[in-house]
Amino acid sequence: MRRSLRVALLATVATCVAGAALAQDLITKDRVGPADAPKVLSFRLTGDGPGNTDPAVAEGYQKLFVDFIQKHPGWQIKLERMSDNIGQEQARMLEQAKSGSGPDCAAVDSFVLALFMNAGVLKPLNDHFTQAEIDDLFPFVREGITGKDGKIYAWWWDTDLRVLYRNKDIVPTAPETWEELKAAAIASKDKGMEGVLVNGGRWEGTTFDWLANFWAQGGKLVDDNGKPIFAEGENREKFLKAVNYFKDLVDSGAAPKRVATIVNYDEFNAAAAAGTTALFIGGNWQLAQLKSTLEPEEFEKWTFSPIPGPTKDQRSTGTGGWTIGAFSSDPEKVAMCAGIAKEIYSGPGNALQQQLPTSKAQYDKFDVFKSDANKAFAAALVDGQARPGVPIYPEISNQIQVMMGDVLTGAKTPEAALDAANTAVQAAYSRL
Amino acid sequence: MTVSEAAIGGRRGNMPRSSLMRRIEENPFSWLLPVAILLGVFYLYPIFDVLRLAFTNASLRGGEEHYTVDSFVALIANPALPDILWTTFVFTAGSVVGQQLFGLGIAVLVMRGERRRLYGMTALRTIVLIAWVIPGIANGLIWQMLFSEAPFGAINSVLRMMAIQPVAWLSDPGIAMISAIVSNVWRGTAFSMIVFYAALKGIDNTLYEAASVDGANGWQRFRFITLPQMRAAILVNSILITIATLNTFDAIISLTGGGPGRATEVLSLYTFNTVFRNLDLAGGSVLSVLMLLISLVLAVGYASFLPRREANE
Repeated sequence: MRRSLRVALLATVATCVAGAALAQDLITKDRVGPADAPKVLSFRLTGDGPGNTDPAVAEGYQKLFVDFIQKHPGWQIKLERMSDNIGQEQARMLEQAKSGSGPDCAAVDSFVLALFMNAGVLKPLNDHFTQAEIDDLFPFVREGITGKDGKIYAWWWDTDLRVLYRNKDIVPTAPETWEELKAAAIASKDKGMEGVLVNGGRWEGTTFDWLANFWAQGGKLVDDNGKPIFAEGENREKFLKAVNYFKDLVDSGAAPKRVATIVNYDEFNAAAAAGTTALFIGGNWQLAQLKSTLEPEEFEKWTFSPIPGPTKDQRSTGTGGWTIGAFSSDPEKVAMCAGIAKEIYSGPGNALQQQLPTSKAQYDKFDVFKSDANKAFAAALVDGQARPGVPIYPEISNQIQVMMGDVLTGAKTPEAALDAANTAVQAAYSRL
Repeated sequence: MTVSEAAIGGRRGNMPRSSLMRRIEENPFSWLLPVAILLGVFYLYPIFDVLRLAFTNASLRGGEEHYTVDSFVALIANPALPDILWTTFVFTAGSVVGQQLFGLGIAVLVMRGERRRLYGMTALRTIVLIAWVIPGIANGLIWQMLFSEAPFGAINSVLRMMAIQPVAWLSDPGIAMISAIVSNVWRGTAFSMIVFYAALKGIDNTLYEAASVDGANGWQRFRFITLPQMRAAILVNSILITIATLNTFDAIISLTGGGPGRATEVLSLYTFNTVFRNLDLAGGSVLSVLMLLISLVLAVGYASFLPRREANE
């Protein structure tokens, strides 16, 4: 009896060791699957993958990728990691895809997906997703991945949104309007805080976070044909109202002047950790970052609420996220790419990183999304608005960033800054 | 006949050559061909391609490409261009002057230290060089932390400890430019120091000895011996660091991103943004041609001041 127990134990240990060794062989820094597998899929990805800087997330993705490749014998996946300079990486990938030297499959930022679709470099994925799965996507997601021919050209697997974070000890009640936020921020200064922090430097986050204030009033950046109309008629008034709101936050001292230099959401985490701010507008993913950064008792003080609007009823929030698309003309590779989107990222990947899924079914499927925080994020997605998927958007965003810097530093009046931005955008639009 | 000519003649005499080989040996162009191909493929072709793209409507978004001068017209009509050129001029001039002054100062310091056999001169040179090997992006991030206006920002925290008002290093448009210049001077000074150190080493010591005999003081030796002897080094260094500074965008993109507004958006960063953010390949190519022209004009201008070699030298 004792002998057979020993044999069983040894067999178990040997199996585990062999299994671990096999798993180790199946995944390296830049490859998943056997090195001698005849079929090769190149996959360009962001930090959302086996190379994630968080060891737990990296390990989770390694397991997902190994499980996936074991279900697809004869294949290996070559991993190509993008740098953090996403704008440049996406532009370079677009150029490579156009010249036929792009990866077989890649992560495409949702806000540039339209550029890739318009360039005709993505392959349809309808054969790999059921109509029910497509119909279950949030409307802004479904619209974002659907081309003019009605086919889907990528799978949008995670989304995010912006909210107002606050330290309950200093700001007990959630500000719901612009005026309430200004008052709460000024009051927080009496308790040694520097006021509300927002993105205001030269980067996409500045435009995206601020646009919620424009969208909340029903403002439109472009018309149905993609022509910029943000400086015309009612849109102009709404635009100026939203710009003046940010200007007033800085002029009144509710926000420090340094917001004009903030080009990273990490600055908010740093300020929260240093105890120098009680209010900031950030992304939903920052809740998990705060949890890992702050001491448990400090983290308990933090909560979030929807971004304040001009009135309590006028609310909006920017939604982004990542898609996976196929550039390869080989149907087998397109199927593998869709498989990565479906089996690794959409669902398991969301749960692993607690990144918000893009379909209602996923919220019920994974326990992690049944938490109060994630339920609140999901509810806030009702006010979600994606950036317009039009070719002129990058220039509009660039000009809004320039305008914000000029206005917040007092270099230009909001009217002059808006006129300058509009002139530049219209000139760029005429050249498209 | 010299020894080497005799040797060559001897070899030729022993080894008959075909007329083709002789022609290749005698024709200098055949020896220059490899390097000409190398330069053509890796340097001239990209320049010609940029020139070609400047006369197109090329975009990273796709679409049919055709030849046009629209991108040049758009550049001339761009109301932001004068501001960007002025910002580029201020950044370049400030950086070049700062790097030359600090580079010369440190080189003179090291030379004097070595003459007096002081300890630590090698360490001083090495420390200065460390800044030079730091990548531009890292340089920008380091200075961003130092200039941070957050309550926990490095320099402002020190100022507060000294009861001095914190400075808006990056949020004030005027001061942001000074901050960008400081970070660039910090990084680029080492290169100037190396060039000037080498030039100082080459000055004949007897000149200083003669000046001392004539009763010249330190300033007079520097003014009438060191500076004139270093004229060529200063001009060559000016050309090199002006071109390097004109092309600098990595340190600025990570320090200020070109902001606030357009306060620190130099021409190279504007070109980068045009191509990689606005996806306007033709517009970026026109700006690249403009940068090339500015660099060429400045290089020719500096070079015209270079001392000419005498014909009998």
